[in-house]
Amino acid sequence: MGALNYLTVENASIDADFVQFCASHGIFSVEDFLVHDVYVLVASAEKLSNSDRLKQGINQMLSIIETWHQPWVSGQVLLEDREQNKHCLSTGCKSFDMLLQGGLRVGHVTEFVGPSSSGKTQVCFQVASNVAIKLGSVVFIDSGNSFSPTRIKQIVTRISGSVETWVHGILQQAMRNIECHAVFDVYALLNVLQQLKSSLESQAGYKVRLIIVDSVSSLIAPILGGSNAQGHALIASVGYLLKKLADRHNIAVLVTNHMVSGEGGTLKPALGESWKNIPHVRLQFSRDHATNIYGVYILKHPYMASGGSANFTIP
Amino acid sequence: MEVLRLPLSASQKGKLISAGYTSIASISSTSPSHLALELKVSENEALEILKNVSDGSRLKRTSSSLTVLNGAQSAWDMLQEEETTRVHITTSCADLDSILGGGISCKEVTEIGGVPGIGKTQLGIQLAVNVQIPYDYGGIGGKAIYIDTEGSFMAERALQIAEACSHDMAEYSRLYHKGPQACEVKTMQPKDFLENIFYFRVCSYTEQIALTNYLDEFIPKHKDVKVVIIDSITFHFRQDFDDMALRTRVLGGIALNLMKLARKFGVAVVLLNQVTTKYSDGSFHLALALGDSWSHASTNRIILHWNGDERYAYIDKSPSLRSASAPYSVTPKGIRNSSSNNKRIKHI
Repeated sequence: MGALNYLTVENASIDADFVQFCASHGIFSVEDFLVHDVYVLVASAEKLSNSDRLKQGINQMLSIIETWHQPWVSGQVLLEDREQNKHCLSTGCKSFDMLLQGGLRVGHVTEFVGPSSSGKTQVCFQVASNVAIKLGSVVFIDSGNSFSPTRIKQIVTRISGSVETWVHGILQQAMRNIECHAVFDVYALLNVLQQLKSSLESQAGYKVRLIIVDSVSSLIAPILGGSNAQGHALIASVGYLLKKLADRHNIAVLVTNHMVSGEGGTLKPALGESWKNIPHVRLQFSRDHATNIYGVYILKHPYMASGGSANFTIP
Repeated sequence: MEVLRLPLSASQKGKLISAGYTSIASISSTSPSHLALELKVSENEALEILKNVSDGSRLKRTSSSLTVLNGAQSAWDMLQEEETTRVHITTSCADLDSILGGGISCKEVTEIGGVPGIGKTQLGIQLAVNVQIPYDYGGIGGKAIYIDTEGSFMAERALQIAEACSHDMAEYSRLYHKGPQACEVKTMQPKDFLENIFYFRVCSYTEQIALTNYLDEFIPKHKDVKVVIIDSITFHFRQDFDDMALRTRVLGGIALNLMKLARKFGVAVVLLNQVTTKYSDGSFHLALALGDSWSHASTNRIILHWNGDERYAYIDKSPSLRSASAPYSVTPKGIRNSSSNNKRIKHI
């Protein structure tokens, strides 16, 4: 996509004459070309002297555009893809897994929402450790310096049992599988996701199974609102990249979000209406300070009823 | 729309999109003068845009390192790093240190909040002195930056605490370093302690924001700085702020800046906060000021409160520490373990 001039470099039939012809119709970019009626263009090309060259150029443009969009797939293909590739990643906590009917689904963007200190980061650590030990590598994108290697070590040791020498080998392997990247503004996050996408597209052997972004709201909140709409555009870009990574490369994506005060003193998830539609699954966390029992409640799920909840503790 | 991902201003992005440049590849293949003509901007601006584009695409080069991303670290490497370097600043109170896992940790932002008079500024000054304890005595031998927004820093009190610390160090060296070693270990004079505290006084919230940005340049020039104490972060944001949404955005930006400082330079950032009353579930209770969104800005949170007549510190939020509470006291020597004669004096 882009300026027509860029395409002249690679394609012989899109030459300077063609570009001039398009300019005479007010077409400067591929989007303008798509918006114009092709038959009208062909008809006006007929009237000029070099009509064959121009028609060749139009056909070339149409074939280039064909290669850029996603192919149509049938429901059968989608179902097969779902059966073979999109498994559930167990979170390591039985009540959580039962609530989600298996765990975090690959290909979905799951969001953990909750007030401060309600267990979101702890459950992220738990899921990361579980996936790192058994399934593949984990990318943890941290915006609040909350990634703590000692805590991960405690969790991995607890999950894999307590046989000493055996545990040490597993510990090193599991912790090597978790990569932590610190980002402090939303452009850095977009860079990191873009970089991940390119390296996954080029190296087919790398098995990233889980991406955790903790937390996306602290990155976007400083630019959301105010007079410009950049914040909403950036939310959409982040959402688009996360979903593409999840779907194309069979990764489960986990995002954490904060809560802000809504009407009547109740809390509601941050980032507002634009973000609401981006995650596939939204789970709300709560914590009972007196008994130290954490609760999770389904706010939104593609195929399960919302309102289901479960309790769990974090040892 | 890849252009949206670039850190450019909204008007520049608008011009790029209306000229037809929507992908990064199409921009990087044009020359600056051509771009300047198409966008109708000056050549300098076009050069700047191209620089931004090339900075972003430079990261795409795959490296031969083990990690999938450039700049990421595996958890194993981070663990090794954490276990070998000493990263805690003691608070001089053994109980408090034990629940904190050794003290206030560097590379993290710790928020400490409490009612007035509980000892927040005292703890701040104690940390500014303790960070300078040399390596031989179990400290990290660094300098401190103290940002004062309320005017509660008293140099005389800092001198008193420094004297007590220096006295303790001399006693320690007398007991544990006997023989020829005693002469080599140098002692610090109270004046030296005060020389290593960089003090900034801010009088408005704009100064506070400017200072947070300035620290990014200040700290690399003074590489020994290991703690940044802001006392208190709330003062200028509580009065006179009409636009609450702006306040949330500004605080969010400051929080990210401080996190970046902590991570990049390995300093401990300590934020002292005030309390406010919240109404929930039919009762009033105390909560830290600056709202719900600020509560996510710190990595660790410690709440100081009165329990009867004693002062207690409670860990409210931490990714790696268990929730626990410990008593402490404020003595003429600074913050110390709690004992029976340091309780609150009730005026009759």
